[in-house]
Amino acid sequence: MRSRATPYLLVGPATVLLLAFGVLPILVAAVVSLTNLDAAGLGDLSRVSGVGLANYAELFGDAAFWQAMRNTAFYVAVGVPSVVLVSLGIALLLNRSQGRFFRVLRSFYFLPAITGIVAIALVWGYLYNTQFGLLNYVLSLVGLGPVPWLSSPSLVKVSVALVAIWRGTGLNTIIFLAALQGVPKEYLEAAALDGASRLRTTWSVVLPLLRFAITFVTVTTVIAWLQFFDEAFVLTKGGPLGSSTSISLFLFQQGFAGARFGYASAGSVVLFVVIAAVTLLQLRARRADVEY
Amino acid sequence: MANSFLRRALVPVGLVAALALAACSTTGSTSPAATGSAPGASGAAAAPTGPLTVWVMGDTTAHFDALVKPFTQQTGIQVKTVAIPWDSVDQKFTTAVASGDGPDVLQVGLSKLRTYADTGALLPLDDATLAPYSHLASANFLDGVAGKATAVGGKVVSVPWISDTRVLFYRSDILSAAGISSPPATWDELRTDAKKLAARGPGQYGYYIPQWDSPLPVEMTWDFGGDIVGPDGAVNFDTPAFRKAVDLYTGLYADKSVPTNSDFDQTQGFVSGVAPMLVSGPYLAAAIKDAAPDLAGKWSVAQLPKGTTNTSLLAGSNMAVWAKTAHKAAALTLLDFLSQPATQVTWFGLNGDLPTVKAALADPTLTSDPLVSVYAAQLANAKIVPLVPNWDGATGKALLDALNSIALTGKDKEAALTSLFAATKGQSTN
Amino acid sequence: MSSTDTLATPRAVVRPATRSHGRRARRPWVAGIVLTLGAVLTAFPFAWMIVSAVKPRSDSLAYPPHLLPSHVTVQYFTQLLRQLDFGRYLVNTLAVVLISMVGLLLMAMAGYGFAKFSFRGKEPLFFLVLTTMMIPVQVTMIPTYLILNGIGLTNTLVGIALPTLVSAFGVFLFRQFMATIPTEVLEAARIDGAGEARIFARIVLPMSRPILAVQVVLTFITGWNSFLWPLVIASDQGLYTLSVGIALLNQQVATNPSLQMAAAAVMVVPVLVVFVVFQRNIVQGFALSGLK
Repeated sequence: MRSRATPYLLVGPATVLLLAFGVLPILVAAVVSLTNLDAAGLGDLSRVSGVGLANYAELFGDAAFWQAMRNTAFYVAVGVPSVVLVSLGIALLLNRSQGRFFRVLRSFYFLPAITGIVAIALVWGYLYNTQFGLLNYVLSLVGLGPVPWLSSPSLVKVSVALVAIWRGTGLNTIIFLAALQGVPKEYLEAAALDGASRLRTTWSVVLPLLRFAITFVTVTTVIAWLQFFDEAFVLTKGGPLGSSTSISLFLFQQGFAGARFGYASAGSVVLFVVIAAVTLLQLRARRADVEY
Repeated sequence: MANSFLRRALVPVGLVAALALAACSTTGSTSPAATGSAPGASGAAAAPTGPLTVWVMGDTTAHFDALVKPFTQQTGIQVKTVAIPWDSVDQKFTTAVASGDGPDVLQVGLSKLRTYADTGALLPLDDATLAPYSHLASANFLDGVAGKATAVGGKVVSVPWISDTRVLFYRSDILSAAGISSPPATWDELRTDAKKLAARGPGQYGYYIPQWDSPLPVEMTWDFGGDIVGPDGAVNFDTPAFRKAVDLYTGLYADKSVPTNSDFDQTQGFVSGVAPMLVSGPYLAAAIKDAAPDLAGKWSVAQLPKGTTNTSLLAGSNMAVWAKTAHKAAALTLLDFLSQPATQVTWFGLNGDLPTVKAALADPTLTSDPLVSVYAAQLANAKIVPLVPNWDGATGKALLDALNSIALTGKDKEAALTSLFAATKGQSTN
Repeated sequence: MSSTDTLATPRAVVRPATRSHGRRARRPWVAGIVLTLGAVLTAFPFAWMIVSAVKPRSDSLAYPPHLLPSHVTVQYFTQLLRQLDFGRYLVNTLAVVLISMVGLLLMAMAGYGFAKFSFRGKEPLFFLVLTTMMIPVQVTMIPTYLILNGIGLTNTLVGIALPTLVSAFGVFLFRQFMATIPTEVLEAARIDGAGEARIFARIVLPMSRPILAVQVVLTFITGWNSFLWPLVIASDQGLYTLSVGIALLNQQVATNPSLQMAAAAVMVVPVLVVFVVFQRNIVQGFALSGLK
């Protein structure tokens, strides 16, 4: 007998946890953003006072905040298409064969996604080192000068993004692979019988069938890259001169190192609003194709 | 068949989860005092009791545990050490303050002291509180960190523990090959020598300035007879001594004597000879010895070059007591133990950290090491970076941004300095 | 594994591409070569990490870089286990992973509830669940700690596992999959008099094996790499996990790269094993979740 309570019992525990550890903190952050909570205030709440929207005003006037916003926009603009295209490309290639060799190759592509960021930072920091790194050593063997991968303000974002792209393709490749395996073989064979080349088949038959997977990957990747943090934190700590600082890193530095919790909370609320807005825009654009 | 597979899988998973749940609730809270949940309940006895929870930075607690073993034997106070990663110490501390649950004693890096003191989470240690503990008398410690030198808002909230300083590292073999018989004694000499050494060839430099080293320009300012805080405690960079430091710092770049990339590795640079001179701390000596033992005899250290004087940085960590601790007397007894010259010398042997107790620095174990005797001599003429709020994130960062923008991106000096003055206006040690 | 095959048959049976036309027989070779090159590039940083873990410290600093160690040493691994307590961290990490598996069940229940029931507040609740994906994690730190402190779970393994026990991504994925379970099957069971719990345990879960496999791996990876919560919530070093242990090795200055690489290698290998073992299930899991 189906009771009315069943759905609530089913979704209850997970939802409560998510609300408690997700929604509640952002609400707290919204409240804290209207105060001047700092280190002193954390220890003694009586020293905290409301400041209205002063934190937001200061935030929007802070050049470092805008630099972090621009950097984050760069990361998203460069990183998301790269991750989506590279993952898709690799998945299409991997799907050519189900043989054991190809299955082994899959594991290789998943390696970066499963490693802890500290190890990744160590290895890449070494590879990128200007004087003593492996990349510049290889370049020197062919007569090219050392490239300041992590110390040039213009190049550093690309170098850091590259590591994140390398890391981010793993899971998405698996998602695309799975989606490809769901493409009915009859469609492909019909196209072949019609004389379509493999490339055309892929473009006109396979990709449209992957629309949902592409949307899913794009939306989740955008959300992740708007919160870009790990690679910038461990490789460059946001340098040189703030040229690789993302918004999350900026908030982290303000909030924890600087103990300016009210200010950092204001930034967090702004970031959350941006992420939500961008996500809604993407979903709206796809509403015709996606059924919930 | 799928059903039973899943069922079979779920049962052991569930069992293990249940066991883990049971285990964690018994092993997770071995000592109620560790979570600070019983204030005053156990600490009121005449003889100090433990157990004490101590936060230290480092990769293992084994060394600290070995150090305090005699303490536990003598006093019966149990000490539980927790190692905290350097990069995450802020997160640990902040959540502890927010909840009120902290350790009893904690190691506080001097760069963090101001922020931590501002939270009010550290116990004030006035003269009356410290009086019963002879080893905690300020006269025992290095001048740079003794007594009021590390006071915040006039209150002392920590006692010195270990020290660190900066000295000149140089490759004696490379210097003599270039015709320089002894390390430079003044900053001007250093600049000339660096230029000579950089002329050895492409990709070779004379000196290395770490782009993240915010105390370096401060040391230079001190050496030119000035300071970055005024007598009122307010930060003031608009002084002749600081301008001389700026000229020296940016001049080394202009001479092309120093590498311009931010990821230059100083250990490799020194070992390979690419940067044969640099200012760094004892940690570098340990790294060089470990990484390039065959370099012995080809390098050494000397005190910082002079301007009018050669004051260097005094860094390191202090020990503080958590204000809400339930074991105040025991904590202070531990601090007293840690400040005994013998303990400080033992710690140097175990972990390689320099003492802050003057008697320990004069101990033959230390002075017999030629490198350590240089450190000890330098420590006698060393100051701490002013205790302004958030040095790393605010004043120190503004300082580095200004200098690096002049040296690396060619920004106009006066414009950069003006923005530095504006950015640091209002910062003060008060 | 026969039930997996049963579930696979409604979808197309996948034939290796080499079999059909002679014209296409060449193609997988090109794909194979490209992929192998890509795999080598992708896995190179790993190879570097493993090799560095067995190099003496002086080798790590050598320039020009030594590709192979001058002599192989396992001293760092022994150091990790004997002096640096990594054995204990390993046990804790496994415990956290196991507790996280409880979260699997909660997410499956929630996914089922959102997919197969209609109830008041379903749409807004699901939207709220999705928004938790967009919340920057730094913002959640202090409020989460205060909540855990309030219910007395600080310094416990459950407290460490709780904040990440369920994820919106997981709920979303379960929902997508379970939406494809034919409602007739469930209705038939209800008519036969089966209770909701029985339906869930006997029908829904077994049919969800592929997606459960996916989530097992994802949960394993998250739990295995967990850093922030173990650090903040454990006041007893005896509860630290492997990630925190590695962070401890990151001394304030002058690190020992070989030791850190050894620690990183210790962290990666188990995850890789889990992935390889579950690999086939993962790809099928995504495929069957309707991501096409």
